[in-house]
Amino acid sequence: MKQSTKYMMSDGLAFSEKRDLKRLQKKSKEGWHLFSFLPMGYNLQKGEPKELQYSVDYRHLQDGEDQEYFELFEMAGWNHVCSEVGIHFFVAPMGTQPIYTDVESQIDKVQRLSKNVYMTAVFFVLMTVVSYFVSELTTGIVSSIFHYILLASEVFTIPCLMMVASLLYRKWVKKS
Amino acid sequence: MKSLEQLTDSVFYIMAALVQPKHGYAVMALVEKETGGEFTIGPATLYTIIKKLLNENLIFLHDESNPRRKVYALTEKGHHILVKDIERRKTMLSLAERELRGGNAE
Repeated sequence: MKQSTKYMMSDGLAFSEKRDLKRLQKKSKEGWHLFSFLPMGYNLQKGEPKELQYSVDYRHLQDGEDQEYFELFEMAGWNHVCSEVGIHFFVAPMGTQPIYTDVESQIDKVQRLSKNVYMTAVFFVLMTVVSYFVSELTTGIVSSIFHYILLASEVFTIPCLMMVASLLYRKWVKKS
Repeated sequence: MKSLEQLTDSVFYIMAALVQPKHGYAVMALVEKETGGEFTIGPATLYTIIKKLLNENLIFLHDESNPRRKVYALTEKGHHILVKDIERRKTMLSLAERELRGGNAE
């Protein structure tokens, strides 16, 4: 039986939104279309090869906001593909006007994405600092437990800080 | 809300369109038609600005009986700010037009 779905790794939306969207576009041209996504990648489904473009928006929709939001995109030619934790993917035929047409709203968009990343980064930095001190100041089993928590926190802290750096850079590029 | 201190073109068009109550898509369509497609407002930009204008009390929810097409309209405060920005833009235009005609005789 022929494979009908496949998985494509993401380079991380905070780092390479544009590159991810271009890769999705290329995959559609080969007949593999986005249908859902996970934090680390995309699920693609086999279909007809098509010239399509993708866009992503970040917004936590409150109850009752989603209908209006998706309607606006649809009327502008952008079909909603999938959403997860405030991240929304849209697809449209080539030549459709972009979803963002001004710089100010694009800066707001990066800001909304940044807020979650900053909060996560602060959490892991605190975890790292606290577990470092607890493991240093205690002995025996408590010390070794916190030593492992420290190692685990570091694993998350470093990518978080890289994301923060990347987002600050993106904001700076948009503003200048 | 930096972009609301001085209205950007997108904010200006959206506020002008909402002098008469309209839903979001009608705003996009009106601007595109009136400018002959010269100026377009993307859905994400429109949604961002609508939320911002609501937050700043420059527009209000006029009718939400259709959740897919909520209708908004300018508030009194919005009206005032729009008129002020029209004046600012008039100054810009008259300066440019005067200079193009050869400026003031010195």
